[in-house]
Amino acid sequence: MNAMIMAVVVLLPILGGALIPLLPFRKRVQMEFYIEGLVLLNSILVIWMLFHRPEEVFILFRLTGNLSVGFQLDGLGTVFAGIVSVLWPLATLYAFEYMKHEGHEKYFFMFYTITYGVTLGIALADDILTLYCFYEMLTLVTLPLIMHTLSREAILASRTYLYYSLGGAAFAFIGVIFILIYGNNAQFIPGGVLDLVKIGDKTNLLLFVYVLCFMGFSVKAAMWPFGAWLPKAGVAPTPVTALLHAVAVVKAGAFAVMRVTYYCFGTEFLRGTWAQTVLMIFVIFTIVYGCSRALKETHLKRRLAYSTMSNLSYILFGVVLMTPAGLVGALSHMIFHAAMKICSFFCAGAVIYKTERNYIHELDGFGRKMPKVFIIFTISGMALMGVPGLCGFVSKWNLAKAAVESTHPLAVAGIAALLISALLTAIYMMTISVRAFFPGKDFDYSKISDVEDPNWMMILPLVLFVIAMFIFGLHPEPLISALTGLASFVK
Amino acid sequence: MMKSIWILAPVVLPAVCGACLLVSSFLEHLKENDSSISVPSPEKLKRLHVFAAAVLVLTACLALLAAWTGEHSVTLFYLMKDIPIYFKVDDVSRLFVTFVSIIWVLAGIYSLVYMKHEGEEKRFFGFYLLVYAVLIALDFSGNLVTMYLFYELMTLTSMPLVLHNGSREAIMAALKYLFYSMCGAYMGLFGIFFLYRCCDTLSFTAGGSLNTALSAGHEGILLIAVFMMLIGFGAKAGMFPLHAWLPTAHPVAPSPASAVLSAVIVKSGVLATIRVIFYMVGADFIRGTWVQTAWMTLTLVTVLMGSLLAFREPVLKKRLAYSTVSQVSYILFGLSVLQPQAAAGALLHTVFHAFIKSALFLTAGVFLFQYGITRVEDLKGIGKKMPKTLWCYTIVSLGLIGIPPTSGFISKWYLAEGALSANVGIFCYLGPVVLLVSALLTAGYLLPITMNGFFPGRGEENAKMVQIQEPSAGMLLPLAILAALCLMLGVFPNPLAEFVSGIVESFL
Amino acid sequence: MEFVQNFPFISIILSLFSGPLSSILDGKKAKRLNLAVITIIGAMSVAVLCFVIRTGEPYVYRMGHFPAPWGNEIRVGVLEGVMAVAFCLIMLLCMLGGIREREVEIETSKQNLYYIMVNLLLSSLLALIYTNDLFTAYVFVEINTISACGLIMIRQNGRTIVAATRYMIMSLLGSGMLLLGICFLYGLTGQLLMSNIQEAVAVLAKTGQYHIPLLVSLGMMSVGLAIKSALFPFHGWLPDAYGYSTVSSAAILSSLVSKGYIFLLVKIFYRVIGFDIVRDSKVINVLFVFGISGMIMGSLDAIRAKDIRRMIAYSSVAQIGYIYMGFGLGTTEGVIASIFHILSHAATKSLLFISASGITDVSGKHKDFFELTGAGYRNKVAGVAFTVGSLSMVGFPLFSGFISKILFAQAAVGHTFKMLPTLIALALSTVLNTVYFLKTVIRIYTPVPKKELEEKNYVTITMKEQPVKSAALICFIVLNLILGLFSQPIVTLIENGLKMFA
Repeated sequence: MNAMIMAVVVLLPILGGALIPLLPFRKRVQMEFYIEGLVLLNSILVIWMLFHRPEEVFILFRLTGNLSVGFQLDGLGTVFAGIVSVLWPLATLYAFEYMKHEGHEKYFFMFYTITYGVTLGIALADDILTLYCFYEMLTLVTLPLIMHTLSREAILASRTYLYYSLGGAAFAFIGVIFILIYGNNAQFIPGGVLDLVKIGDKTNLLLFVYVLCFMGFSVKAAMWPFGAWLPKAGVAPTPVTALLHAVAVVKAGAFAVMRVTYYCFGTEFLRGTWAQTVLMIFVIFTIVYGCSRALKETHLKRRLAYSTMSNLSYILFGVVLMTPAGLVGALSHMIFHAAMKICSFFCAGAVIYKTERNYIHELDGFGRKMPKVFIIFTISGMALMGVPGLCGFVSKWNLAKAAVESTHPLAVAGIAALLISALLTAIYMMTISVRAFFPGKDFDYSKISDVEDPNWMMILPLVLFVIAMFIFGLHPEPLISALTGLASFVK
Repeated sequence: MMKSIWILAPVVLPAVCGACLLVSSFLEHLKENDSSISVPSPEKLKRLHVFAAAVLVLTACLALLAAWTGEHSVTLFYLMKDIPIYFKVDDVSRLFVTFVSIIWVLAGIYSLVYMKHEGEEKRFFGFYLLVYAVLIALDFSGNLVTMYLFYELMTLTSMPLVLHNGSREAIMAALKYLFYSMCGAYMGLFGIFFLYRCCDTLSFTAGGSLNTALSAGHEGILLIAVFMMLIGFGAKAGMFPLHAWLPTAHPVAPSPASAVLSAVIVKSGVLATIRVIFYMVGADFIRGTWVQTAWMTLTLVTVLMGSLLAFREPVLKKRLAYSTVSQVSYILFGLSVLQPQAAAGALLHTVFHAFIKSALFLTAGVFLFQYGITRVEDLKGIGKKMPKTLWCYTIVSLGLIGIPPTSGFISKWYLAEGALSANVGIFCYLGPVVLLVSALLTAGYLLPITMNGFFPGRGEENAKMVQIQEPSAGMLLPLAILAALCLMLGVFPNPLAEFVSGIVESFL
Repeated sequence: MEFVQNFPFISIILSLFSGPLSSILDGKKAKRLNLAVITIIGAMSVAVLCFVIRTGEPYVYRMGHFPAPWGNEIRVGVLEGVMAVAFCLIMLLCMLGGIREREVEIETSKQNLYYIMVNLLLSSLLALIYTNDLFTAYVFVEINTISACGLIMIRQNGRTIVAATRYMIMSLLGSGMLLLGICFLYGLTGQLLMSNIQEAVAVLAKTGQYHIPLLVSLGMMSVGLAIKSALFPFHGWLPDAYGYSTVSSAAILSSLVSKGYIFLLVKIFYRVIGFDIVRDSKVINVLFVFGISGMIMGSLDAIRAKDIRRMIAYSSVAQIGYIYMGFGLGTTEGVIASIFHILSHAATKSLLFISASGITDVSGKHKDFFELTGAGYRNKVAGVAFTVGSLSMVGFPLFSGFISKILFAQAAVGHTFKMLPTLIALALSTVLNTVYFLKTVIRIYTPVPKKELEEKNYVTITMKEQPVKSAALICFIVLNLILGLFSQPIVTLIENGLKMFA
């Protein structure tokens, strides 16, 4: 029974979401109640499940041979499922208000809700094949969300997204097959499943496959040079860019990389090899690259997307350190970045929703007109910069701590990259805030007299995120010690 | 231990009051009609002034009380498992809190008058109080992470002081200030990561807490980390190569703001450097290494470069900003030779320079206040119109050059003597020579104003000078007090010098 | 001997004779007869399959009870049963899916001709599946070729004539080589029954005699069948033949006819030469190289294609490449993967052809991509079906293509040298498949601006207007899902069948 609930939380949003266009809603409010109720119910189930963790594995069905699609809940899955289940109801609430001006809501919410189930499927997957299946499904169900506006730009963006994502998955697939063949167990086992006897003298081959697999999965995590889809996908409605391209989709990529590294290949096998070095170079480069592109970008959402690219590589950097501390850093940044980035995206979305302005130079003086939004935006910017007292500092500290303890020679370069990126973050986030609050002496406020704060449905999630940022920033200890316990299996 | 929590009162009080002022100023703006910018009524302004002054004085009293009534330490809460937010009052905190408070109150009183012509007073005083709170917390910080926290906050809260007038130039300057400071702070953070690994504790311990067992084998990277920290925290102190924000940001800020920026905020860079070198890694770790050599070289380059740039700078406030670049590096040079007397000189110069430079900027503010004079050549004959102001200016100038009996002489004496007796090779001689040359240059860029001010030469009476008169008491008084302090400390330096020597002995 | 055991023979004869019978019926009746025949044969195949599964061993059926070497034999195992069932099912669905097109595109007087060809084709396919005699196999290969040619030509526009001619030339070249190979073997062994040849070849291989002639014979047969099944680089005839013929022809040709030849090749490998000997020969490496190049080049051609039908046709080249690559690995796992892919590709490709015709119908009969914009909204079933087919081709989990991809990859990992090329080719080809298939999917779901839509006068087709076609499409989708989700029984059947072969 307890194990069955895992299947329930995955399938409920998928089926419930698929029903949305078929149900005869007479009023919009009815639809809102249905969707929010569905999402909320599912989140409650998930959170209940996280506290009553089912121990056994639940097999949904068998594919072929000993390959099956099944679910289990372990520490890593708890973290990801927790993030997703907390954010989804909030984002949905925000989306109700936002989507009023986009249209085609039924289909939008259908895919949006289905994505919830698929993301949970990734979090709860018990083996690499299940993970892969849901990973591919995620690509598919998020595609219509990017295409939503159906403009030429959106179509091109969705095409790019598709090619990158499925292409990456194709290479990750090679890794999946190798794990199935060379592992002694298809399931995720902390510390890896590789059978050293089977490998024999093929170590280098396995490492090569690991690199392929890492890069394949990191396409979703927008690692250079496979991240170009992310800024383009910014044409999607903001609830999508915020929740999916800052949290669900990109973190699914990072999550898959974690699974592959820590639960399939195993850090003992990988640490200190050339594979680690190669990946670290890529990751470190992405950290800096993402930020510098963000700096050059003048489109608000695209700037945030590039920032996501860089921040995702923080997580990947923690992963490739291949130490317990590295995993703690990666997981904490996964959680904190979710709060920070979704918050800044929602602010950007509020601006777009209320004023239809997209470019940064159009935001002069908005601070006075949309004070709530821009104060929150500034706080999330400061959190991203890593100002102590906000959560961004904690994860940065953990990552750097892990890097200092690491014996890998490139780890120091990683710290430097983290700090350069923090500086660039300060530049690209603070310029926006300064412009918004201090537009200059002679600024004519009558030009933006139509600008005002959005209603509570949009503000409430923002406020909750800010509170979360402060709580995690000032009192992260319970969370960090929980994560440390989780990562203690890494030798 | 928790009984001492009241020492945070001088942090909380101005922070809360400042925040209230900001919120109310913000709300006023929201209510305001788009077209008409309302000017606050005189009664309201008066109430604001009384409120701000009262808070300032009260805070200063509390701060001094907290600093001088015995040993206090407070652990507020744990940011991470082994990293508390921790405050501790020690002698260095006492020294810094004292001079910061004096200057903050004086500059505050000055700005009550001065800010009338800048407008937006509520916002100004809001941030002014906030920065004060942050500075006190910074001075009381008991470990590296707490210090870093308030260091960052100081940058963020002081930035609005720079862009106060809202012109495009000011905004760009503020951003430049922000980015340089952040760059420096992150370089500092880079080092903090390594110190966290290699030190027993991040709490400040006189003489350092470097654990040789932990750091064994990592000396090379640790030296790099320390050097990064020196450069990083040096950014705030205007040390080459991250000095460029200073001459941009100081001139555009309102004069009281530039006074406190130049006199106090740059000193936090000095404080951070002291904490890192003498309270974390320990002087012995870097003595004789390339880090010390590089550090000394950088400081001397900065001293000379700052003076030279000041010498050829026609705009008064910019000239003073360059002068700050040069003078703060005196202090850093004193620290870098790692010799007790020089370090004492550095600490003394920290205090003296704070008084002198704030006085100089306040003077420049006086010139700017009513008559909009910014350039040096426009000041000819001003001494005849406002002799008191110019006399104050002259006294503190002499102090900065280092002519007895003013205070600057004392600190420079310590510095030079310390450098000569230190075991630092060629720098023993090079240091004093550079200091001397720079002193000459200082004389060259400060004294012509006095001379031209009192002796404008014949027939060059400036038409503008006609209506000029002395400023009001609210502006003159702080100036006079600062000048007096400059003289007093020069004549009776012993109590302070002994106190400072005590500090230095504890860590060197 | 049980009655069921007669069914294979009966089904061949039934479809063979229903062909001439159709020639005296008019179009409509011929159509009904044809459908009935396919259904009956399908049912009989199911019965045979059940029987073989129950007994667990293959049986040999002698026609006319003459003993070898004069008699003609039929041999039925699990694999043959599976193939027969699958072929019947897919052919039925293809015929149903293309009903309307056939009525429009084929002249009324020639309608019944079409059904003659289809019946003959079915009988030849069944014969290829069941026969235990190499020469009989050759005879039915020729019948197959001729009826396939008819299927291409029946829609009379200039292009199909050219296409059919090219097809004829290439196909006959292939048949010629096959015949030469068979003659060589006959010369070497003096046998024509497969099991007898195998014994003789085993003796030859043991003694090391006639090594080169044996190799030449194997090479001739492999290349001959490769040409006929359009393995790269012998695929020049394919795009035109599939691209311009009527839709059920294209579907049947791509999903069944070429698969019949491939299945014959499997039989030759296992039952005529012996798989060990095949593995040791170099022929297999040649097939591997051709297969891999086919996977990549076919997809590249498909990307360049401007016309949806040709694109799907080129994709067939790539998929045939997969199958030959599986043979080329030279392991049983590889062959299992290939055979599974034969089924999965047959189910998917015919789905794609039929849904593509549904899509072009609502786009003013234009086949080039630009005109297809928004077609998914105008014909919903076809849109969904095309999406499913594309995803399956890309190897998306839950669909049949994914299982074949997994099987191929797992088979590849067992091999030392061919592992990396195979895996990388698989990944690359997935990427390329994504590019052209999903590009089309996005295209058909991109809406056309209202103004343009009014100018263009597109029709909209609902499910009710074309119930048969829609039903066929839905059946195909279900088939795909079954192959994707519950593949384990089928894979087990294939494994058992291969064991029975040896």
